[in-house]
Amino acid sequence: MTLRRILTAAAAAALLASTAQPALAQAQPKLREAQIRPAVSSVEGGLWDMSDQMENHVKASAEVNKDPQLNAFVKTVLCKVATEYCGEMRLYVLDRPELNASAAPNGYVDVNSGLLLRAATEDELAFVLAHEVTHFARSHTLERYRQTKQTATAGMILGMGLGIATGGGSLVSDLVYLGAIASLMSYNREQEGEADTLGYGRATKAGYAKGAGAAMWSDVIAETRSSDFPKTRNSEARASIFRTHPITAERVAALQAMGGGDTARDVAAEKKYRAVIRPHLAAWLKDDLRRRDYGQSLYVIDRLSKLGEDMGVLEFYRGEAYRQRRSEGDGAKALEAYKRAVASADVPVAAWRELGEAARKAGDKAAARQAFQTYLDRAPQAQDRWIVESSLKTVQES
Amino acid sequence: MKAMLRSVVIGALALALAACATVTSAPQGTFAVGQGYQVNLGREWSDISNIMTGRPKNVRLLSIDGPLLNRLYLTDGLAPGQFLVKPAKRERPTPTYRANMAATELVEFVADSVAALDYQRVETSNLRPTKFVGADGVRFDISAQTAEGLDMAGTASVAEAGGKLYVILYLAPKEHYFAATLPEVEQVMASARRG
Repeated sequence: MTLRRILTAAAAAALLASTAQPALAQAQPKLREAQIRPAVSSVEGGLWDMSDQMENHVKASAEVNKDPQLNAFVKTVLCKVATEYCGEMRLYVLDRPELNASAAPNGYVDVNSGLLLRAATEDELAFVLAHEVTHFARSHTLERYRQTKQTATAGMILGMGLGIATGGGSLVSDLVYLGAIASLMSYNREQEGEADTLGYGRATKAGYAKGAGAAMWSDVIAETRSSDFPKTRNSEARASIFRTHPITAERVAALQAMGGGDTARDVAAEKKYRAVIRPHLAAWLKDDLRRRDYGQSLYVIDRLSKLGEDMGVLEFYRGEAYRQRRSEGDGAKALEAYKRAVASADVPVAAWRELGEAARKAGDKAAARQAFQTYLDRAPQAQDRWIVESSLKTVQES
Repeated sequence: MKAMLRSVVIGALALALAACATVTSAPQGTFAVGQGYQVNLGREWSDISNIMTGRPKNVRLLSIDGPLLNRLYLTDGLAPGQFLVKPAKRERPTPTYRANMAATELVEFVADSVAALDYQRVETSNLRPTKFVGADGVRFDISAQTAEGLDMAGTASVAEAGGKLYVILYLAPKEHYFAATLPEVEQVMASARRG
């Protein structure tokens, strides 16, 4: 592939992503048939090729979560809302901290850990999956393509996709492929509204709570407002890595108007869901901190803390967020969080090391000594033991 | 996804620039990393600093077989507030070196910087004390995977001296390339000196 072609394709994909198109002209909610396989030479076949390429890219990723229990749980929820499409959907749970899930035309479905971490209940997860299944069932990517078929952009993107499909995939072509399919997954206002409406119907028909959708979207908006960065705080919220139509107060209100206004907490449902994600909670929080938007991470931790479970893990990562952010006053907040963490039975052993460091920085040598010593007692095989021994020595000598 | 597209375009531009001979030779012998910091190269390397995007000015990159097969990061002393990997935009910050970091935070700084280079499952192991640029430092190993699933190996030395952070970070595919150049990297690390 020539550089010119790469640049042109990338620019075209970006252009398509930003193209404002007219409304769907009162499209009827006709759903695609199950188990279809379009002709390779058709437009839809081209979109499937692009989706296949995206799926192949993800298959190779180290971020695929292979926990059989977690995958079985998410697949069960997906099938409850996907019903007739369940058999043709291939689920990939990805350990990626961004809030995202998507369903491609070929049946590829991905669910990020960032979504699993943020859902408070199975009901909230089910609503988001039902929303994505609706994009799939209503062939919204094909619709996006057809909305732009009058432009050279669409034909070029598809032509590019078909061309690459026959030529084998290099890293660059894979990425261009991903960019092209991403542009078609940048759903517009009408499509997002339809996915909310029909997704709400699918989820509630499967027996999930009516208020789950409004609760989930409200929290996504609130988390966006909690960002450390003014530009993010002032931007509209999205539950997707794609440039989809944002989650707005109007979308929340629409869900509430359909009957989803009851957003009262269901503590039993929260406990049941937490038990499912608990084995991954610490790893996902660590991943979330690597986004380095600590305001958002702290919002997520606050939300997770409402249940009153896993407080050793949650307070440890609250401390980690403050320690890494280092804004004014964060040192003291980190110290207090680590203190709360070590008071819980489920505390990660690293909390003792960090409590020692935080106490040392605060000038509390006695507390630092005790924390460092506790770490050494509880982590005799730790690879950083010699570092902590050195730290302990400094607070003992000084 | 837009960032991914941007990466493709930038990567393509970088390759085009490479063809314009912006890669220079780093001959065997003394290699000045910057002001007052040098290492000794046991063989000729390529200085690929000019074609690597996201590189702060005081970070140099060397390679033998190309940046995907082996890369050696050398920092000319990072001051507090500086990075090993430059952030693409304000809302996507990369790890920042700060004053008064604990030794474990310095290891975390390097590991998270590697993750910021889009490597996946970045883990550190075998932390051990080392003498580096004449100071007490930490040596450790790294494992990671590329987005395409290739297993990567790495090793790093990190130490603070004169209020600045010095890092040598070596990354290469685990299969063949890492071990093939490791003896040379060990020698480069041992030769690092200020002044």
